[in-house]
Formats: sequence, structure tokens, C-alpha cells
Amino acid sequence: MTARILPHERIDEFVTRLMQSAEVVAPRRVEVADVFYGPISSPGEVAWDYGTAIEPLKRFLLPQRETMLRFSTNGGIKVEAECDERERVFLGVRCCDVTGVGVMDAMYGGDTPDPYYMSRRERSTIIALTCLQAPDETCFCVCCDAGPFLTKGYDQQWTSLPEGMLVEIGSERGEALARANEDLLAPAELDQIATRYRLAREAEETFGDFKSYIAGAMRKLSMNEVDPEVWEQAAMRCTECGGCTYLCPTCVCFTVTDRMNGSQGVRERHWDACLNNCYAREASGHNPRPERGDRLRARFFHKISHQWAERNGRQACVGCGRCVAGCMAWAHMPAVTEGIRRGVMT
Amino acid sequence: MNNPYLPKIASIRKVKPETYDTATFTLQLDDPTERKAFQYRPGQFVELSVFGAGEAPFCISSSGHGRDTFDLSVRKVGCVTDALHEMGEGGQVGVRGPLGNSFPFEEVEGKHILFVGGGIGLFPLRPQIEDVYRERDRFASITVLYGARTPDDLVYRDELEEWQQQEGMTCLLTVDVGAEGWTGNVGVVGTLLQKVEIDVPNAVVFVCGPPIMIRFVVQDLSGMGFGEEAIITTLERHMRCGIGKCNHCMIGDKWVCKDGPVFTYRQMKAMMEFEE
Amino acid sequence: MAEIATVCPYCGCGCGLYLHVRDGVVVGSSPSRSHPVAEGRLCLKGWHAHEVVDNPRRLTRPLVRRGAELVEATWEEARSAVVAGLGNTLEAEGPQAIGVLGSARCTNEDNYALVRFARGTLQTPNIDCSLRIQCVPDTSQPGEAWRAGVSTGQIADLDDADLVLLVGSDPTEEHPAVGARIYQGRQRGLRVVAVSTRKHPLAGLADVHLPVRPGGELRLIASLLHVVLAEQGMAGEERPGGEDLRAGVADVSPEVTAADTGVSADLVRQAAGLYLSSQRAVIVYSAGLALSAQSGAAVQALHSLAALGSGGSGRQVSVLSLLCRNNLQGCRDMGVAPDVLPGYASLGDDAAVQRFEQAWQCELARGTGLSAWEMPGRVRAMYVMGDDITRSIPDPEATLSALEALDFLVVQDIFMSPAASVAQVVLPAASFAEQDGTWTNLERRVQRTRRAASPPGEAREDWRIIADVSRAMGKPFPYEGPPQIFEEISDLLPIYAGVFYPPLAVNGGIRWATPEARDAGGPEEARLRPPPAEALAAPGSELRASDQYPLLLAADPTLRPWDGEVMVSQMLTVAGEFTVLIKDYPDGMLCLNPEDAKRFQVRGGRPARVVSPKGECQMQVRVTDEAPPGVALVPHNQATRLGIMEISTDQAGGRPLLAPTPISVGPAE
Repeated sequence: MTARILPHERIDEFVTRLMQSAEVVAPRRVEVADVFYGPISSPGEVAWDYGTAIEPLKRFLLPQRETMLRFSTNGGIKVEAECDERERVFLGVRCCDVTGVGVMDAMYGGDTPDPYYMSRRERSTIIALTCLQAPDETCFCVCCDAGPFLTKGYDQQWTSLPEGMLVEIGSERGEALARANEDLLAPAELDQIATRYRLAREAEETFGDFKSYIAGAMRKLSMNEVDPEVWEQAAMRCTECGGCTYLCPTCVCFTVTDRMNGSQGVRERHWDACLNNCYAREASGHNPRPERGDRLRARFFHKISHQWAERNGRQACVGCGRCVAGCMAWAHMPAVTEGIRRGVMT
Repeated sequence: MNNPYLPKIASIRKVKPETYDTATFTLQLDDPTERKAFQYRPGQFVELSVFGAGEAPFCISSSGHGRDTFDLSVRKVGCVTDALHEMGEGGQVGVRGPLGNSFPFEEVEGKHILFVGGGIGLFPLRPQIEDVYRERDRFASITVLYGARTPDDLVYRDELEEWQQQEGMTCLLTVDVGAEGWTGNVGVVGTLLQKVEIDVPNAVVFVCGPPIMIRFVVQDLSGMGFGEEAIITTLERHMRCGIGKCNHCMIGDKWVCKDGPVFTYRQMKAMMEFEE
Repeated sequence: MAEIATVCPYCGCGCGLYLHVRDGVVVGSSPSRSHPVAEGRLCLKGWHAHEVVDNPRRLTRPLVRRGAELVEATWEEARSAVVAGLGNTLEAEGPQAIGVLGSARCTNEDNYALVRFARGTLQTPNIDCSLRIQCVPDTSQPGEAWRAGVSTGQIADLDDADLVLLVGSDPTEEHPAVGARIYQGRQRGLRVVAVSTRKHPLAGLADVHLPVRPGGELRLIASLLHVVLAEQGMAGEERPGGEDLRAGVADVSPEVTAADTGVSADLVRQAAGLYLSSQRAVIVYSAGLALSAQSGAAVQALHSLAALGSGGSGRQVSVLSLLCRNNLQGCRDMGVAPDVLPGYASLGDDAAVQRFEQAWQCELARGTGLSAWEMPGRVRAMYVMGDDITRSIPDPEATLSALEALDFLVVQDIFMSPAASVAQVVLPAASFAEQDGTWTNLERRVQRTRRAASPPGEAREDWRIIADVSRAMGKPFPYEGPPQIFEEISDLLPIYAGVFYPPLAVNGGIRWATPEARDAGGPEEARLRPPPAEALAAPGSELRASDQYPLLLAADPTLRPWDGEVMVSQMLTVAGEFTVLIKDYPDGMLCLNPEDAKRFQVRGGRPARVVSPKGECQMQVRVTDEAPPGVALVPHNQATRLGIMEISTDQAGGRPLLAPTPISVGPAE
């Protein structure tokens, strides 16, 4: 599984080949300046020079709305499941997002795998694209062991060198893809691999002062040593907009609804946000978390406690900074972990 | 891949009203193979689909012994339960399960078994009461203490009569608020604890009821010297999947649907959001 | 997967939003990061904007009443019924007997077509939108009709502001995109001064919170003006109206007003001090101010305060009028009002009238018509497009009865509404995601919405439905689609000159400029005008507590404003978040300060008996320190139907407003 070089002038052809047998999802510019991961219809659409995509790969692996079952009630009930079986290649994915997929794998795999997620995941090839510098001042993957370069978790990891992409192989699938396109690739030289490691160190240094102090907050949170005042203050700085949840690469809560059309119906699931007042509210009206502060505490516990890190293999924050971008007030990961650390929210 | 979200189809065989807002539905899986394979233990629950209205979790409220049907006792309180209460014999529903963990049984052999139930908290306790009673020579004694808000809220009246009369079991009842015609105890269910002699070091107690009732009864039990491992309860939470994926039932680092719904008091105390 | 760039259909912020379409199905919503308002954020409603599509509760077929039932009909049948119904009334009673309601949630094109239908085809001047009740009445000079309740700046002004003055506005609940900038601005030192009865979250975090008693808003603002004028004067400059302004507020020092406003002079002077030391301020108000008596004068006073800044003192101040709905601004711009033509042209302006008559090929009704709140009892037939009149104006029951008593009512909407349920004809309309068009947000930003899905069943675009009816009544419209309608709008409305579809394609659209800005090329300047003396007079004794009625009850429009609203309550997933009032406080959420709750022996979650001089009712209690001592708060949407609140008629605009009402509170039996 040796590293290869894909010359820049061959990239488009490589991508064209990918498009022949799979839906290729890559960062694209929409309306000039917004970048989303999305299916491309030509290699030229890939925005190789992008910073971050507005949303993580969750849109494809766990859509905001998806059909789980179809049923009919005419003449006896019949139910069928519906799974997405499209082959996909995720190309040019930032390392934070790749790490996020790894966390989703832990949450949706395990002893009771979710068939809808796994059906997509098992048909996905993930090609990471490393960050040579911090794309945004809100990025803090360096605090979360999720970038700017990875050592595992990808099928392939591409780093842009002057002469081409350095293609590192991270799995059998990645190796098979390389082998199938060997005519476009050349083995990487030692000095090119050394360059990759130098670039990784240089990239880390560009992340500046913006830290999330997750480790300190993790400990206090896990030991339940956070002053309740902090949660009350955080509650005054949260509007339950759902932005952090919907944008987070590792938030996977969903709610389920049935929709009927005559005697035909579907069961769908939709993204849900644990910060919402009615998230845990029972039909009887009893709400185990009636205060917003309680819900914030539960959310952050699920994200970065030691207890959940053990269950998922790592803590769930990847430092992508999207909660910072999407927060309607001041209750995102950096804000709250700082509040936990200092004992007071600003 | 097995799809754990795909319900099996079952038919309602019987509907028995319990109170003005609760009824017991006896269900039977349509497919004989699925019916045979549906083995469960007291404490477990199912996710029940009323197609078109939705899906909701309900504890199984009957012992599985010697029957190929199972009961769900349900209170009419929301979309799914409203729709279910409109259905009668022959109606078809979807069933996923059995889900969750179960009450200890072999592990408490030889002990004095105490049940404390409040209101519809008796629903998940009934299968355990029945199983324990059936094998009562494996246990030191069986006591059932049950209370509801008013006499109209008492569930399983037929069973309550049997339990009060039959040998090998003590059953005491109470209501929070008396009514005309009620000659029994009046007071919260915790008051019944003073009316029985319990060999606390060799007893375990199964508690189930509204959250506030559990809190007070557990306080009383702790005061009586029950250890944290000897107090066992079953929690309920809003659920959307029942298999630890949607996270609605998450408390601290536990899912009520997978790590529970049966928990010991020690486990509950360790939960991040536990309040005394 | 395609991302369709459109705009959020909820509040007046107009955040840029993408609808995700996969295999022809709308599957999600995302914020636009490059959008000048959204900046990558959406509130909970925006994140679920796609749920209006494929929603099983949508109206999909025309309905016609047969006896007690509404039954499905074809478009031909429905249209014939509409033509016959309106025609009968026209013949028997004349155009004055018909009322038309336009929509703060439909597009500019839809509303413009409706105005043409009303004044042109039907010849009735009775055209309005019930949400205009939340707009500050027009206290401007002739030809300045656009001034009333219009923003002079934009939301991004908060990004380099050092002070924000919130008056009556709770952006956290009402306008999250504005709130976001304030929460984040605080981190870099933005100072917050909040004038509001309720201690909402930002008021709780404010540098100074002035907990003004209901009814005291104008005097409080005037006292702020008094202090600022005294300290800063005109900064050595002669300003037109300056002397009048100074004279007008000479008698309302904070010491004098403290008794009625409930705010100590110290606090007012503190707030004024912050204002005086700011270089770049933003003044923000919403329905919390606009629905109070004297709101016209109050908003004019805010504009005067803003104007004192620019010029001599160097302080730059913009004023943001936070309108509650995605196209309330646009609907007014299009002339959905009884007293102006599209573009705020005066009904007395012959040249303007001629331009429209030429374009519309017919005479148009030139009179001043009835306001929305006057219509139900005074007309015989109504045509209602996307308007929730039973929710906007006081006494929903009376309104619904009046609608039911009409000879003919046709309602055109996307979901069944109370008005639709008593109509003779119901017409299914396309939602924002199913048609192209434009909306104008609270910053005067005209933005494109784009079609991402087909209308369900037989639903049709609003403008098309109106055009079909107009044609059947002998007055065809020549429009092929929204772009042609907009061309005409741009042609005929000077404020929309220069706004065309192609440039609108840019993310963030185009803000229409006020005439001064276009002529002077610089920031808009409001003239200095003193508050009218009679408006400044102290509130009467009915607003004071007495032994019999020791508390003052105020209807708060900023408290849970979205609960029960038609689009959010039909969402598939988060409807529960917006039905808390209905589930937990069905008779009314009475917010009481802990002191008052104790004093009157009522408990949270329990019912209380509330008595006013007008009547009594029961409500569920919520104990919170958001309510100040001595004042009880109830969400405005619930207050309208309690029947115990005084209704005062707004001098300036004739609006029926829920006035602060003295009450007594005790536990219900």
C-alpha cells in the first residue's frame, strides 16, 4: 500500500474515471461563494482550492430526510424497507470531515448496525484532501486529533505537492482504486513523502491561538464537576436554533414520522436536535430536561465526555468549527468549553 | 443486512379495558415462525407501530410462559395510543422487539421479593410478578404493594383480587385519594411499607411508577436499609428507535432502550443527570 | 443533489437559504454562508423550511362549499363560483362592499397582482393585509408614506457597531439573525441597552435594561432624547427642526417621567451616557414597540434620536424596523394598503394614477378603503390571499363569526386556516418553494425565491390564480410569469427602479434605496420632529394599579410569537416546539414575577383566575423573573382572544390595539 503521485495534469482524468462507476461527491461552488459537497457532473466542478464546505458528509450518509419504510394498509399490512445502494466516491474531503465519518461509523455500526447508513457507507470510498493551512479562523481540528493531516481513517489521503497529489493509501479499498488506475500514477519518492510530513507540521502551526481547550473541559464534564451556574449562563446564550446540531459532522439524532397518502404510507426519519425543548418530552407531558441548561449539559456530555469517548472510540468533536459558524448566539463548542474551563461564560 | 427498523406484523386478539384511559391489548404475531421466535423476559419492551400514526415503545405487560400471545397495557395519551385505542380485535399493528434488558430473575433466587408499583407502573411489573409467583418455591417470599391516585386508577383489578387472596403472596393496596365505596388504605404507596415486615438484608425490591413516586419510595427504601444494588426500577423515556441510534432516550452515557430500561438504583445514581 | 438558492419564508430577516433537491424530492434546508444576512446561520424554523413541501396537510384541490361541507371541485367550478360570488355582491352592493386581503408571506408579484385585481378589476379600494396592524402608522409628511416603519440601515450595521439600543424587540425570539450579531458583538465589546417591559434574554445580558412599564415607551424615549439633547445639543450645528425638538422634550426629563415609565432617572441617564459615548449605534425596534399606543410618535422619536448623531457629533446611527414576516415590507411596497397605491404613490397623485391606469388598461379605484380590521363587519364579500386575519387582530372569535356571516368568502392559501374553514371557496396555492418570485425583507432587500418543486396536486401560484379569476371577470392580465410582473413593478414604482431580475440573482439581492439616498447619494437622514404634545401627555389613571386591580396586564408580541402560526404548526417534525403554548398553557400563559405569584398565591403550571374591568378568564401561570413586579405578561397571540383586555384605537392609524389592562389575579377554584 505504497504512496503514489498523481500528476496535476492527470487529476481530471482520474476523476472522469471515478465518475464512470460511481456518484462522485466533491466540494463545489454554489452561487459563486458557497461551497457544498455535492455530486459533480464534470471534473472541472471540483473546487480544489476551497477552505471548508458549509456542511459535512452527513448530508449524504444520513440525509436530513430519508424514507425508511414504505407500507400499504389495503387488504392486510405490507411493509418494505428502502435502502440507498448507490456507489459513491467522496473526493476532496477535509480531514475533520473524514474523522467525523469515523465517529458516525462507531455510532451507527456496532452490534445493531443501522442498515440505511451502512448501505451507503459500505458503498462509499473516501478520498481526503489535507489542509496545507488553517482554512478558517474558526477551525480547531488540531485540538481534536482530527487534522489537518490524518494517519488513518481514509481510503486515500491526497496532499497537494508542486508536482501532483501525493496519494497515501489507508485501506484495501484505497489500494484497489490505486491499482485500477496505476497507469495514471507513479510511486512516490522518499523526499516527496518527507515533504508531506513537513507540510503537515507547517499546517499545524497556522492554526494560531484559537483553541477549544477541550481536554480541560472534558475532565470536568466527565466528573460532573461543572458549576451549574455555567449551564444557566450558557442557556442564556443559546437560542435552540439547532445550527450546531445540524451542521455537526457527528450529530446523528433523528426523529421518525409516518406519512399517509390514502392507503399508502411512508415512514421517514428527519434530523432532530437535542437542544429542543420537546426533544425528550413524553406524550404524558413530562419533560426530563425542562431547562435549557440541562439540555446543553446533556449535549456537551454526549460530545466530549470520557464515557462517550470510550463507547465511540474517540470524543465526538472534530474541530471543524461549523458550530461556531452556525451558532445564532454564543453557545458553540469553543464558547462552552471555555466557559467550563473558566467557570463562567463571557 | 438485518433491518432492525422493519416491524413484524401482529394482530390484536383481544382488547380489555382496564380503566377509563387504559386498556390491555393482547397481540399475536401473524407469521408462525416469528411467533415462535419471539421470546422475551419481564422488563423488556417492544416498539409498536400503528401504521400512519407512528411508532412508540411499550413495556410487555404479560409473562411469556405458556402462551404465543403477549400483552401491552397502554394508556391513551398521544397520537399513537389514541389511534391504537380506536382499534379492535383483528386490527393489525407492527412490532419490533423484544428490546432492552430484563429484570433479574435467577440472580435474585432465594431472596424476599418485594414489588412496589404506582399507577400504570404496575404494567411492567406484572410479568415479573407472574413469573416469580409461578416459581415461588425458588424465592423466600413475595410481597406486592400497589397504589394509584384514586380507586378509578387502579389497574389489573382481576389480578389484584387474585393476588390479595392467593397463598404464597402478600398483596396490599392503597389510593392517594379515597372515594365513595373505597374501604381500603388511603395514603401514598410508600405508606404501605410500614404495614409489612421485610427482611431487608435478604430482600430485593422492584419499583415502578411516576418519576416522583419512584423518587420518594426509593428514599423510603434507602431509609429502611436497602442497598443500592437491591433496589431495581425500570425507566421510561421518549424513544424513536428503541435500538440506541436516535439518542432520544439517552441519560448520561446510557441509553434507556439498550442499557435499560431496567436499572438498579446504583446505576441510576451514577447517571450524570441523577438528582436525589 | 441540487442546491436551490432561495430565502427563508419565516421572519423579516430574510436569511439566504438553500433547498436541497435529490431525485426531484426536496430533502433538506441549509444556510448560505456568503449571504449578507444569514452568514451561515439559520434558526430552527429555517432549518425546517423544506417541510412545507410534501406536507400531507397541504391544500391540493379547490374546495367549494355545499351546505355544511367543503367538497373538492375542479378549477373551473371553483373559478365560476368565485366569479359568481363576487359578481353578485358587486351587482347588489357595489365595489365598496368587497374587501380584499393580501399577504405578508406571498411574493411581491402575487401581491401586486392582487392590488391590480382589487383596485382595477373589482374597483374596490378595500385592500389591506391584516399584519399591517403590526406596522407603525404613518406619521410622515405627504409623499413620505414609505417612512413609516422602514429601516434606514441594514442588519450588517451591527457588525461594526459599538452600541445597540433595543426597543421592545426580543431578537432572540423574533429575529434570530439580528440576535446572533448582538450575542457575538458582545464578545468584542458591543454595548447593549434594552428598553422593554419583559426581561428577555438579551435584556438580561444587557449593559443597561430599562424595564419600562407598558404604555410608558414614548415618554421613556422622549426622556432619553431630553438627556442626549441636553448633553450634546445640536453639536454646534443649525438643524431644521432642532429647536422645535428641544422645546418638544423640554418637560420630559427622566426625573419627571420616572413615575409613569417605572424606570429610575439614574438608569435612563446611564443609558443615555452609553448612547452619547458611542460612535456607531444601531437602534432596533419590532412589534414590541409597534403594537403599543403612540408607536408612531415613539418611532419618530427614535429616528430623531438617530438623527442627532450624524452631523455634528460624528455618531453614525441606523434604525432597524424589525418586521415580523418575510414579505411584510414587500406587501406594503406593493400597495397592499387602503390608503396608497403601489410604491406608496398617493391616491391623490393624478400622474401616478394615470401611469397605473395606463399599464392596467382600466380605471382604478382611487378612494381610501377600509383597513383589514374594519373589513369583516363592514363588507359583504371578501377575497383573502395568504392572510391570517383571525390571528392578527383582537377578538378572533368575533372576526371568525363576521367572516362566516359574509355573503361570500374565498380564501386562497397553502394550508387550511380558520378563515378557510368558513369560506365558500378555498383555492390551493403554491408555497414559497414551488414558485419563482421576490420578497422584500426588513432591510428593504429585494431577494429572489426560486422554485424547487412542483406545487402539490392542483395547487397553483397565487398570481396565476388571481390572473385567471380576473380574466374570467373580463379583465385579463398580460403576464406570462413573475419576471414580467416584476418588470412592471420596477417600471412603475420609483422605489423599485433599478431592481431587475438578473441583478437580483446575486446572493443577497438588492436593497431598494429611499428617495433621499438616491438623490443625495449618501446615508438617509431623518428629519428632527418633536413628539406631538398630546401623545407625550402622561398615561391616564386607568393604567395605574389600584387596590381592586393591583396588577397591569400587557400583551407581549415578542413572547412566543410563532406558537400556533400556520406554517410552523404544520411542520412534520418540530411543530411541537411551536405548540408549547397550546399544550401547556392552553387558556393563556400568564407570566408573573415570583413576588407577585407569592403575593397572589398562585403557582406555576396551575390555573389562575384573572379579572379585569372588562371581564374575567382563566389562564395557566408561569412564574418567571422575565415579568417585572407589578406587571403580568401574556403572549399577544393569546391575548387577542381572552376577552378581558381593553382595546384602544390608535389615534394615528385607527388600529385596534390591546391596551395594558389593570387586573386582579388569584388561584382558580
